[in-house]
Amino acid sequence: MATKYGGYMGRVVEIDLSARTVREYPWTDKDRELFIGGKIMGAKILCDSFTGKEKPFSEDNRIVISTGPLTGTGAPSSGRFNISTLSPQTGFITSSNCGGSFGYYLKRAGLDALILRGRCPVHTWLCIENNRFIFRSADRDGLWGLHVTESQERMALLAEQEWGGKRGFGQLVIGPAGENLVLYASVLSGERAAGRTGVGAVFGWKNLKGICVTGNHEFHVFNPEKNAEWNRKWFRYLRRHPLTGNQLPRLGTAGLVSSMQMRGMLATKNYTYGRYDDFEQVNGETLAEEYNIVNRGCLTCPIKCARSVNVDGREVKGPELETLGLLGGGILNRDLEKILRWNHELDELGMDTISCASTLAYAMEANEKGLWDNGLAFGKTDELSQLFEDIAYRRGLGAELALGSKRLSEKYGGKEFAIHAKGLELAAYEPRRAVGQGLGYAVSNRGGCHLNGGYLVILEGLGLFTNPQTRHAKADFTMLFQDLMEMIGATGQCLFTSYGFFPGFLLTRPNGAVTRTVNAAIPYLGWALRVVNWFPLLLHIHVPVVFPQTKAFEYAVGMPMTFGKYIRCGERGYTLDRYVSTRFGVSSKDDTLPRRLTDVPQDPGDPKSRVPLEDMKKTYYRARGWDKNGRPTQRTLRKLKILS
Amino acid sequence: MVHVRLFGLFRLDSGLKELYAEVESVKELYPILLAEARKRRPETTVTARDIDGCVVLVNGKQSKKSARLCDGDEVMLMSPVCGG
Repeated sequence: MATKYGGYMGRVVEIDLSARTVREYPWTDKDRELFIGGKIMGAKILCDSFTGKEKPFSEDNRIVISTGPLTGTGAPSSGRFNISTLSPQTGFITSSNCGGSFGYYLKRAGLDALILRGRCPVHTWLCIENNRFIFRSADRDGLWGLHVTESQERMALLAEQEWGGKRGFGQLVIGPAGENLVLYASVLSGERAAGRTGVGAVFGWKNLKGICVTGNHEFHVFNPEKNAEWNRKWFRYLRRHPLTGNQLPRLGTAGLVSSMQMRGMLATKNYTYGRYDDFEQVNGETLAEEYNIVNRGCLTCPIKCARSVNVDGREVKGPELETLGLLGGGILNRDLEKILRWNHELDELGMDTISCASTLAYAMEANEKGLWDNGLAFGKTDELSQLFEDIAYRRGLGAELALGSKRLSEKYGGKEFAIHAKGLELAAYEPRRAVGQGLGYAVSNRGGCHLNGGYLVILEGLGLFTNPQTRHAKADFTMLFQDLMEMIGATGQCLFTSYGFFPGFLLTRPNGAVTRTVNAAIPYLGWALRVVNWFPLLLHIHVPVVFPQTKAFEYAVGMPMTFGKYIRCGERGYTLDRYVSTRFGVSSKDDTLPRRLTDVPQDPGDPKSRVPLEDMKKTYYRARGWDKNGRPTQRTLRKLKILS
Repeated sequence: MVHVRLFGLFRLDSGLKELYAEVESVKELYPILLAEARKRRPETTVTARDIDGCVVLVNGKQSKKSARLCDGDEVMLMSPVCGG
């Protein structure tokens, strides 16, 4: 082992796809202490190689596929891994977190991370078995051009032939959308997608159809007995928690549709409204009552939030909230069966459902307003299956839609209703009724992402009921939540494990005196939270009941980790991402939302129903220690040990 | 007559999607909902506590369970959720 720490395999390799060579990448224990793994590790590796002149579709662009120290160690929901690269949607550094089994098997092959540079001279797929790296032709093997499931099945057969027998394995593949450089193409691991920011298109440009990996390396944790005992307790806690043990397993993320409707947060008709009259036709309850076959989950996940539905007699993955919202109310579609089908088709083609649906909604509105005669209209949904295929193969109108809403609005006009931030389309949460989420969308490192933005909707009506229109304390909560989620992702865990942070009674007793007091107090906690954000190391404590992550980390890895240090590591990762992006020109001017969300009240009778972005942005930059242009200062970079 | 619509886990547990009732406050709905749930699904385990844990919206606005209701009001009851 090349590391003194548990959880890690101690090896990172860099593969030059052009030269078909493999070399060891230096990654020391000092790096592990500062940059942990997953997304933060990816950002550090890209930071060390990018100057700011690289383009997403160029040989200089790298793909970092990284695991976290807890990936595969038996901690709850710890089957995650991360893909970092330059995004073709945004033009700067991005990351996409994914479940499935790839991360686990990458570690079984003895690897913490893979770095891919250069470009395959011909269509290729990569077969990895421990230290054997085999480059195979994706054309000769009949993989190039196949849809995702077909690719996975064929690749599995070929890999077994290569390995001389059946083995457990993990796979990453792209579909036709990635091959044809659709800017929002995804990469799939099993049925889970690294869906956002177009990482699939970067695979496609590099002529890499996919990766199949296996190995027989053993996992080592620092303290096996305590690690196992702690994880058992943690599993029990999550199973008893009202959200992770009841709500999410039974309704999935789709359960939020009704709640968002009631809060005016359900993006409707391309974010024109926050409520959809026909929401009951496409909500989580209808999905659970009439279509869900069984709940599914990723590796070692007690939550099992994924749905499973029937499409054409096949049991396939059901839609998440974002897909229901944007392919439902977003385009004024009330047919849930169509959404189930489209969700499956988009996965098979290898496309991000969020960006695809939002681009479609933009195009419908552009047509409605006479800016672009494209034949699309809200509520007219009969031909969409064909259109999705046309996007994936870049045919006719599909070739234009493959560019995403930002580029289309630059060509046809209507920037005020092209609903993206930094080129990445927003998820289904309408931020004019959750202004903290609006701030998060705008400042998020990877563009309009609800999770990277801090997910403040959880305070603003989808869990707790803090005033969703006030800007007080929103910047500080955004920073804290972003940092916590950054670190959870970096360790290799699913963000849903963080929901245990909210004591159950706050969720099950929303009308109780304690909950009402907490909701009322949150906007006044800004300065207290600022102290935590500025001096997190003062929190030299564990909060084991609601935040078992720090103890689990210590038992698995053997690295001292307090709650405060956990926050600081997340802060380092978040600012590091931003620091790399500033090399590509990112600054305050990019932390914006379309004017529909900042200038046009959702409710014409309520001028407050819009996002007061500029005020919150200033507070956010101050809390982060970034300058007024949104760039991390030298002092902040040194404080976080990003610069020595 | 008040129109009551149910969402979230309470709806899954009770099998009730909606009902109409003659009541003057949200609290008066509790026994009616419980009786209807048990009639619809005898094996149901829902209790008054489950209803009490629901978020209450009257005509789209969050309300207290003591809120007075008028003829034609729409009441939405929903178990609180988060996480996407």
